[in-house]
Amino acid sequence: MARKRSPARLVIALSIAAVLAVFLLYTSIAGGGTPSLRPSQLAGRTGTVSLVGRVVGKPTGDSHAGGLRFRLRDVKDPGGKTVPVVYTGDVPDLFATGRDIVIDGKLQRGTFVAAPGSMVTKCPSKYSATKPAAQ
Amino acid sequence: MSTALILGAVLAVVCVVLVALPFLREPDPLSDELDALTPERRRRLALSEERDRALAALKELEADHRAGRVNDEDYRISIGPLRREAAEALRALDGDARGKGEQAGRRDGGD
Amino acid sequence: MAELGRAALVVTLGLCLYAVVAGSYAAARRRRRLAGSARNALIAAFGSTLVAAGVLAAGFLRSDFSLTYVANHSNRTLGGVYKLSAFWGGQEGSLLLWLLILTGYAALAVWVNRNRARDLVVWVTPVLAGIAVCFSFLLVVVASPFAVQAAPLDGAGLNPSLQNPYMMAHPPFLYLGYVGLAVPFAFAMGALLSGRTDERWIVATRRWTLIAWTALGIGQLLGAHWAYVEVGWGGYYAWDPVENAALMPFLAATAFLHSVMIQEKRGMLKVWNVVLVALAFCLSIFGTFLTRSGVVNSIHSFSESDIGPWFLALIVIAVVFSTTLIIWRLPLLRSTTRLESLVSREAVFLYNNLLLVALCLTILWGVAWPILSEAVRGTSVVVGRPYYDFFLRIFGLPLLLLMGIGPLIAWRRASLRGLGRTFTGPAIVAVVTGIVLLLLGAGSSIPGLIAYTFSAFVLAAIALEFVRGTRARRALSSESWPGAFFSLIGRNRRRYGGYVVHVAIVLLAIGIAGSNSYDSVVEGKLAVGQSLALSGYRVTYQGLTERDTPHAAEVRAHLLVSRNGKSLGTMEAGKNSYKIAGPDPQVSSEVGIRTNYLTGEDLFVIPEQINDDGSVYFRIFVKPLVNLIWLAGIVFLLGSVIALWPDAREQRRLAVRYDEAGSPVRGR
Repeated sequence: MARKRSPARLVIALSIAAVLAVFLLYTSIAGGGTPSLRPSQLAGRTGTVSLVGRVVGKPTGDSHAGGLRFRLRDVKDPGGKTVPVVYTGDVPDLFATGRDIVIDGKLQRGTFVAAPGSMVTKCPSKYSATKPAAQ
Repeated sequence: MSTALILGAVLAVVCVVLVALPFLREPDPLSDELDALTPERRRRLALSEERDRALAALKELEADHRAGRVNDEDYRISIGPLRREAAEALRALDGDARGKGEQAGRRDGGD
Repeated sequence: MAELGRAALVVTLGLCLYAVVAGSYAAARRRRRLAGSARNALIAAFGSTLVAAGVLAAGFLRSDFSLTYVANHSNRTLGGVYKLSAFWGGQEGSLLLWLLILTGYAALAVWVNRNRARDLVVWVTPVLAGIAVCFSFLLVVVASPFAVQAAPLDGAGLNPSLQNPYMMAHPPFLYLGYVGLAVPFAFAMGALLSGRTDERWIVATRRWTLIAWTALGIGQLLGAHWAYVEVGWGGYYAWDPVENAALMPFLAATAFLHSVMIQEKRGMLKVWNVVLVALAFCLSIFGTFLTRSGVVNSIHSFSESDIGPWFLALIVIAVVFSTTLIIWRLPLLRSTTRLESLVSREAVFLYNNLLLVALCLTILWGVAWPILSEAVRGTSVVVGRPYYDFFLRIFGLPLLLLMGIGPLIAWRRASLRGLGRTFTGPAIVAVVTGIVLLLLGAGSSIPGLIAYTFSAFVLAAIALEFVRGTRARRALSSESWPGAFFSLIGRNRRRYGGYVVHVAIVLLAIGIAGSNSYDSVVEGKLAVGQSLALSGYRVTYQGLTERDTPHAAEVRAHLLVSRNGKSLGTMEAGKNSYKIAGPDPQVSSEVGIRTNYLTGEDLFVIPEQINDDGSVYFRIFVKPLVNLIWLAGIVFLLGSVIALWPDAREQRRLAVRYDEAGSPVRGR
């Protein structure tokens, strides 16, 4: 036979190496992602994080004028510590007290300042979709 | 709910009958053996696939050439080996059939 | 009636258990009647599942709220059609739909193949039944749709955003896809179990795979369209875990569809094909697991339920089972043929496979990363849109290009010189398109420009293929142009159907590039009479009207739209307040979409906030070419139908091949 080993194996091996290289390059440059935290884990954290929590109390303010203000607590900890949040941008329709939301942002001087438009609400139960804010 | 009970009973009976059907139909068959693929038939199958592949490749080359996907020079280079492969595959299949001695009869419900 | 439903599911579980045990024994010991009995059990399982499904459907249609599931997902005022679709609106009902489709496919598969490849099909029964055992176990023990309660006066109703025709059709199509992948998987495992290394399993499942893959694709497009018009944030795909859950098996199945052609033509890649089909199936189970377990943050997971661990167990079983089988049969699967040239159609298919699998695995990594990082580092880390967009471009753009290269390359070995000449035409078209687009301003997005240029190349290459094929056909049979065209397609349904599907993918790529890379947005608060301008459009807010229906209080903002000074008429956008029992009224935004059918462009108006003083905060998008995405769905379906269409000549050829191998002796 003219060839001892099929080039197919070489191609596959090289491709896997290439993919891994691209992947490692990307994650080292662009970072590995955003940490996803609960309000109780937030204390002392700097940098952008993704906060998952339940809305407590009555929201005040206007997200399109000055910011919507509300408090978040751990989903699984009814008596736990709450974190004040200020949010600007589009508010999903299902946002209400008692709903679970995910929101990106940074803790600044004790208040979680959210990235505009980053709120995503989780449905309260069953299989129903919610409206994510503009991405 | 008696309707539910009746329907449930009917369902159960139908299922049992269906499951037992092969045994009810043939309580005493000549052979209960399921067809198996013997080594000779496996070989024959492999040879048939080889032949089909070789013939299809020839056909593809002709079609590619006619449609202009393969130019004359490449056609000339490739057609020889392909024809040889097809001829070999046909020969191998024939040889296998003759060398067998017994006739693998054509049956319905093929393979 | 609930007892009937529950009993029917128990019967299904029993039948499937029998089919697994008896079927495996019959296959191992070659007992013909027992194999037939196991097959009948699997078919009967479909019947009893149908009974269970019928009971649940009747419960919905009669608004029987003594069934907890019906009460939780329906109410008296729900429209008839949506009462039926509420069937799959929750955990238990959607699992029942899964089981129904699974037993239906299984029954059909073993029945149609009852007289073919008996040594192979005899193993398919226990494998399919095994999967059905897992699902029916879940339905009987963990998540029964037939739990009863004291009937309340009225049910909770179906989430209004789910009362949409696209959302109604989305789960059934997805399930027809997900579940459909179980059939080629079972045949592959059957081939390994029976020690058959030939193509029989591929030939038997070719159409199944294509149908499942098509359904999965259509299902995803339906979901995307629903997200676009109903959820209305201006996009159609958010890289949410449940969206990815359907995309991953789709990519694996796409790779599989291509690589089986290599096995067919050259007898190579036998191991790869078996691995791919197992991967596709395991990913489809994984997808169902993701949607139901609440294990990752997603906007549309079912509530965190205890069903997660069971699905995880099923995935582990499936992976261990298929891996063990493949390793056991590895020696048998070695092929003797080699890849002759890195410049050949086989090679292009190989590259296509590598890119598809790479994309699939990077998405898998992105989905699993939050779980893995939590296990390893203690904090859960989520990846965002930029991660997925990056890898979609890195792997997707070369894939796009390959779709144009593949058709132009011959099998086995193509000479570079010959290629150069063939490529010239489409390459010129691509370069010219690129330059023209650059001059028109498309340079604002490099990936977008590349996508457009590659798309032009692919479309030109496919057009060239059709032209050359038709011309060659005419030379052979002196038919007219249209006649030659149709007979060309008729004689090569898989190839030309495949080309049509490629055209659909290109349309999809152009639509995505246009609406993602070249869209524009403006937002602001408008009082009556004020307007916003964007990309030549001017949208003027004229006022609010309120409508009261039995279901909701609807508020609509009226807008006057003009483009480049010319009036285009009016449109509406607003919010609905649904009259549902509960502490907060459920509100949904109804976006306004104005489609320009000539250019495929959408003007997308989101009424973000309606203020008490009558002013409204709007966000307005212009999405160029977005409607090509939906058009792509139709072309995709057309291409699949062409490729699926039965070909009498091919059937005859295959019948001869398998008949020749000598029909197995049948006991009389």
